[in-house]
Amino acid sequence: MAGAAVPEGGRGKGKKKSLDAVINVVPFIDLLSCCLAFLLITAVWTQVSKLQVGQAGGPSQDQTPPDPNILQITLQITEKGYTLTIGQGGSNIDIPRKGTDYDLQALADKLKEIKLQKQDQRTISIAAEDNVQYNDLVQTVDTCIKMGLDGVTVQAAT
Amino acid sequence: MAIQAPGKRPAPRFMKSKVMGGKFMKGKRPGNADLQLTSMVDMFTLLVIFLLSNFSAAGDILFMSKEITLPTASHGSELERAPVVAITDNFIGLEGQKVVDVDQIAHDEILNIQQLEDNLRDLKKREEFVHQNDKDHVFAGKINIQADRHTHFKIIKRVMYSCAMAGYGNINFAVLAGKQDKGAAPGGAPAPAAAPSGG
Repeated sequence: MAGAAVPEGGRGKGKKKSLDAVINVVPFIDLLSCCLAFLLITAVWTQVSKLQVGQAGGPSQDQTPPDPNILQITLQITEKGYTLTIGQGGSNIDIPRKGTDYDLQALADKLKEIKLQKQDQRTISIAAEDNVQYNDLVQTVDTCIKMGLDGVTVQAAT
Repeated sequence: MAIQAPGKRPAPRFMKSKVMGGKFMKGKRPGNADLQLTSMVDMFTLLVIFLLSNFSAAGDILFMSKEITLPTASHGSELERAPVVAITDNFIGLEGQKVVDVDQIAHDEILNIQQLEDNLRDLKKREEFVHQNDKDHVFAGKINIQADRHTHFKIIKRVMYSCAMAGYGNINFAVLAGKQDKGAAPGGAPAPAAAPSGG
């Protein structure tokens, strides 16, 4: 049990007062219990975050003229997989699906190559088809951000 | 009454007596035992510290629903307070209130969802009215989209378009914060600000 020493103060030659004093921990336990109950009730167990995206032609788009050093990268999400187009009129790089899932690892590798060549590149445009699920879109955006392309614009595939 | 072993059963006042009580306690263990509270206090303290470190005063930003299962992303940033558009299989809602049924708009030819846009315009007007005397306040047009992971982009794009038409062009996808994996490109991948936020 918690104890604390108190200054020695005898009353005379007879009995000596005990040096140990017991601290009353009951109010402390009460306080801790209340804190614990309050914090458990107000605790947030789901960690929610956000992925910021822009819209092609939307108000959030910068009106500044495009930098000629920045490539226009378009990533199409279709039923078959990804199609990566680098630059206007550039060649298409197909990344087919891996079974039922999109091949995020292959996409990450391709984006890493681009990022190594163009370190200032921060923008990418994602064009998704109508039947693409939100989860796949989010995973794709997340992969782009992971690879340093955090200026993600989402638009509908033509 | 409890069953007791046969033997001497002294009166309680004898048991309390220092002189008489001792006779009856021979060979018996004392009935009182001190509780060891130190370990319990330690455990309570640790729990309180852990919960305090995870405490968030931001409150619940999203209206969590059983119909919406959020996807997981590992590179998201901290969610901020903004109007929330919820998209389920059945309906589209704004700030916890149903706006329109998905079936109702599924066969529309136009991209815009008129009911959602009207509600968002009202919300924007309200916000501008509230902050009309606050010159420092700039309308950022932030909006959080909380959609089920199986929602098709066909619906998402229409919601995004409606938000943009109403002036909410700063769109955030609400996701569950996942673990950050390795293999990010050099000079990229901002650290996830997965601070506990509402949910």
